[in-house]
Amino acid sequence: MSKDLTRRELMRRSIAAGGLFAAGSLVPVSSTPANQAAGQSTTQAGTRVPATIVDGKVVQPRRELPVFQKTSILVVGGGPAGTAAAFSAKRLGVDVTLVERYGYLGGLATGGLVLGIFPLYDRSGKQVIFGIGEELMKKLDVLKFGIIDRNKAPTYPTIDAEAFKYVLADMVLDSGITAYLDCWGVDAIVDAKGAVRGAVFESKSGRQAILADIVIDASGDGDIYAAAGAAFEKVKTNIGLISRIGNIDEVDMAVGRGSEDPEHPATGKPGAGRPSKGRVNDLNGHAGNSTPAPHMNWLNMKGPVGDALDIADLTAMELKHRRGTWGNVEKLRQKPGNEQVYLAETAPQLGVRLSRLLGGVKKLTVQEIRSGAKFKDVIGYSGAYANAPEFQIPYGSLVPSKIENVLAAGRCISADFEVADITRLIPVCWVTGQAAGLAAALCIQDKCKPRNVNVAKLQNLLHQQGAYLG
Amino acid sequence: MTFLRRVPRRVIQLTCFVGAVVLVWPVLPWAIAPRIFVQVSPFVALSSSIATRSISLGIVFALVVAVASSFKKRWFCLYLCPTGFLLENVSHAGLRKASWWSKCPPVGRYVAILTLVSAVAGYPVLLWMDPLCIFSSPFAVNKATNTISVILVSLGLGTLMAATLVFGMLWCVRICPLSGMQDMLFSMRKTLWTRLTASAPSQKFRAARRVFFAGSAGALLAVWARRTGAARYRTSDTLLRPPGAVPEDRFAGLCIRCNNCVHACPSKIIRPDTGHEAGLAGFGAPVIRFDTDYKYCLETCNACTQVCPTGALTALGLEKKNKYIIGEALVDNNVCLTALGKKECDACEQACPYDAVKIIWDEEQYNAYPVVNDKCTGCGACEVVCPTSPVRAIRVWTLKPA
Repeated sequence: MSKDLTRRELMRRSIAAGGLFAAGSLVPVSSTPANQAAGQSTTQAGTRVPATIVDGKVVQPRRELPVFQKTSILVVGGGPAGTAAAFSAKRLGVDVTLVERYGYLGGLATGGLVLGIFPLYDRSGKQVIFGIGEELMKKLDVLKFGIIDRNKAPTYPTIDAEAFKYVLADMVLDSGITAYLDCWGVDAIVDAKGAVRGAVFESKSGRQAILADIVIDASGDGDIYAAAGAAFEKVKTNIGLISRIGNIDEVDMAVGRGSEDPEHPATGKPGAGRPSKGRVNDLNGHAGNSTPAPHMNWLNMKGPVGDALDIADLTAMELKHRRGTWGNVEKLRQKPGNEQVYLAETAPQLGVRLSRLLGGVKKLTVQEIRSGAKFKDVIGYSGAYANAPEFQIPYGSLVPSKIENVLAAGRCISADFEVADITRLIPVCWVTGQAAGLAAALCIQDKCKPRNVNVAKLQNLLHQQGAYLG
Repeated sequence: MTFLRRVPRRVIQLTCFVGAVVLVWPVLPWAIAPRIFVQVSPFVALSSSIATRSISLGIVFALVVAVASSFKKRWFCLYLCPTGFLLENVSHAGLRKASWWSKCPPVGRYVAILTLVSAVAGYPVLLWMDPLCIFSSPFAVNKATNTISVILVSLGLGTLMAATLVFGMLWCVRICPLSGMQDMLFSMRKTLWTRLTASAPSQKFRAARRVFFAGSAGALLAVWARRTGAARYRTSDTLLRPPGAVPEDRFAGLCIRCNNCVHACPSKIIRPDTGHEAGLAGFGAPVIRFDTDYKYCLETCNACTQVCPTGALTALGLEKKNKYIIGEALVDNNVCLTALGKKECDACEQACPYDAVKIIWDEEQYNAYPVVNDKCTGCGACEVVCPTSPVRAIRVWTLKPA
């Protein structure tokens, strides 16, 4: 009986709305003529239309979304890339709106506890990433317990998550950027020509639209460009969960700062015996890296391979990683000298490394970075990472091959898997974020599309903002 | 008259000296030139052929030299030997007063006998005294990565030149095993000739006794050296030989310290041993050390195996060389950045040309760490990129039988 009622109710409403659409969320708002009845129903509190069941299928009726705001540049994602993009664009006097899924800024650098600012240096130990990232680190420099190991190549700096959240909040509040937190950018708004005109987001205020001239997709997962129909490659890799452990100073002061540092050897006994084949060690007292907070180490976790776009995988990781981390800390406590070690926190966010990779104007390949390829449209450098030397990042890696008005920044830019495994790291996200922000601002100023941005002008602006381009 | 006879000899000597440099340098695009150069010595060619029970191309040249020397006394020394030419010129500058050694017995021929007999036992004990290998060795100096290696590769020729300055031509006349061998070839040919043409004169008993002692000493030394070499390999953890190396019990004997392999290695990972790895018997023999930045035994190179004149390093094609096991990579998870949760690092996995290193996720330990599989050849690609310091988490160790 309830099914009949539902259907009757639905029929009545959909006739009023002018048609039935199985996937209302994918209907471009701008191509829908505003309907008087629907408009009334969405603007009045308590009259929103729920999803319903038609012929056994769950359907969401077509509806008009309230336009929450109109802006020049919309940045989706407030992590390292998104904040760098918003700051750099705002400095050119352009109207910038930033939406962030979590309740704080900094993304994986704060909520993910990825506290190591790495890779920052070239092979010789010279820092190759400056610009916004350097500015942020300078702000941390003056804070007590804000950042350690600055300018100590090859040891990379380590930041404090709370200090960084403070710095970003402080900067956003003073910058004039319109920021909305606890907002999950869920969809793109695309016009009849297929060009992106904004994004849809969900929050406690419901499903709303922000119209924008340029959208910067700094969501990490490329949620917006994927929804807009841009080409992308989906990859799966390890998903971990970082934690912080306290009271670890007694055993770890000499080694916590990363055993790359010759002054802080990794082990008390250099050259200690031949390891046996396939031996599995428990975590011992040298686990993790020291952080600016005293007696506190951050502990990375590689984790198993998972699909970062599959909620079942993500949920399993969230639960198992927390159980596993607790168990590892218990094991850690069994080592002499470690009895008082405790688990301070597990990261609020899973350590998703890669999910979607943009099909861009230029796909940066591992062959290019290994051979030291130079690009005319270079927008910055990544530091040397393990076997790969420092390398240039071209502007083309941020621009989708077809879709207009959207730029990618952060880990979801256009690169092959091996390269993306480096460009996903925090300081490189600052680099691509800053470049995307300035490019978007140029699009506004010069009234052009991202793919037509004057690269010389962009590079000039990057220089002015202190970025390193070689 | 004497003037006229001397000039052409000097010209031939100089030509041969330049030729030797050209071969060893090597200026030629002929990769195996340094090997052929050393194999011209019949002492090396014969001893190594006996020791390895195999015949190499170089023996053709060695035979020519041997036959010529048996007809013209010390023909090779007088005309061809670059070491001899060098020492002769040094002796002109030296004191040359010392001649106490003129009564010294002809040590060289007993060295040759000792070595030839020990070669039968598979371990040519004093083969490293060959003058051509001593000449070839210092050319490896441009691949020496430290002062000790520079000293080691130039030690032989340097010592000979210094000794010649003080004592004159002592080495060439009395000690050099190649000249001793030529003397023997000459007198053997002559004896044979005399026996065929006239009645046989009796050989001196003393000489025969010395030959017997030298031969016995060679056999005993060879047996002893092979036993200690095998024992050394069982106990060592860090002894790594270049690809193609014969088993350790014979390696230090077959290797004549010509340093051709050190010279040939583009990665500069082969260097002469100070004795630290393989004791006094292994002094100066090549070992592999992965401490040059980002250099390892390249999957595109088999140069060292091509230039060994004695077969201490068996000549291997590229494919076979890439299957030769230098050692085994082992991971110390108490140092590894990934295992300790210190950093996002998969340098070893990325670097491995043979797909032998995988960073695995261990659900039981709830941790990730590198695991090395059977494809590992010990090429060192992982070791040289491992970022931990001073001890690398992944290192190549001497292969132990399972």
